[in-house]
Amino acid sequence: MAKILRLGAAIVLAVFMPSAVRADRDGFNETVRVIEQFYHVKHQNIPVLARAGVKATRTAAKIRGGDYKRLAEVGSVRVAFFEDQTFDSHGEIASFKAAIQHALNAEWSGLVQTLAPKTEEQTYVYVRDAGKHFHVLIVTIEKHEATVVQATVAPDILAQLLKNPDEMGKALTDEATLSDP
Amino acid sequence: MKALFRTFLRLAPLFLFVVTAHVVTTAQTAKLQLDQLDVLANRASETVDVKLDEHLMQTTAKFFSGKDTDDAEIRDLIKNVKGIYVKSFTFEKENEYLPAEVDSVMSQLRGGGWNKIVGVTSKKDGDNVEVYLMSIGDQIAGLAVVCAEPKEFTVVNIVGPINLEKLTQLEGSFGVPNLNLPPPKPKSER
Repeated sequence: MAKILRLGAAIVLAVFMPSAVRADRDGFNETVRVIEQFYHVKHQNIPVLARAGVKATRTAAKIRGGDYKRLAEVGSVRVAFFEDQTFDSHGEIASFKAAIQHALNAEWSGLVQTLAPKTEEQTYVYVRDAGKHFHVLIVTIEKHEATVVQATVAPDILAQLLKNPDEMGKALTDEATLSDP
Repeated sequence: MKALFRTFLRLAPLFLFVVTAHVVTTAQTAKLQLDQLDVLANRASETVDVKLDEHLMQTTAKFFSGKDTDDAEIRDLIKNVKGIYVKSFTFEKENEYLPAEVDSVMSQLRGGGWNKIVGVTSKKDGDNVEVYLMSIGDQIAGLAVVCAEPKEFTVVNIVGPINLEKLTQLEGSFGVPNLNLPPPKPKSER
């Protein structure tokens, strides 16, 4: 009987321990760290005051059917910038994708990933439950810059964004980082 | 020896449960295992990977209101869909991927309850489009489209009760690319 109990305990530990250990990871910081380690680059945060004037962009307005409504919940946006640095995966772009996936715990679902190794352009969109809302994590990488955005969105906004998941990352990143000209 | 036999007898129900659960989940799910294709990403000039799982589909489906005609159509289309999975690889040169590298997907479609309902081959362009349907009893459990071209390989896997007509309506939305599928024949509709 003791053998069976030990076997049961081992199965439970094997199934639940990895997720429990990783449950305290928030996703944003881990993702930024993976980019820094893989590409040997350093990020910059946008000062809060610089974001105070953030307004709608054309993409965001288009998704909302013309009349702009904010996509992300107020005060929920976190942004990390990587500017004027070189992003070169040396033909191992799939390894970077795997590294990000490994860094995020199982709560995060990979929604959209687009990769173009030659230009080093990559977009990753991850989603996880956040009670009545959803957390969305977007990583955008180009040859000389990258952005990591995490935002909280309402389910009705997420539903509209899902209609065109390819544009989803751009819409939220634009909202978080650009101002109207 | 007797002790070993007794231990085996005690563990037999657990073993049987694990094996049965594995058989049931692999036999009755229309979700294809596609992650092994990721190795193609290093060689592809462009890769697109879309995963919309059941939880996400069902959570957001109710937010497509019936007031807006487009939204109502979308809600009807996706309300029973349990997942949309797309992987697409575009290459700069022809034959940059080998048939053996995508055989892991094709072998899943050759068995496990999948039936090929459409197959279009162009000898001139080397394009090859195949549509597979999985049925459990009278119900459609899922659909898979494989487009194999010399410079492109795309797999679309939709889990849930969906037919070819509905798939055509989903083209361009929810990450489903335009597949240029032949129009469905009325008789083959279920």
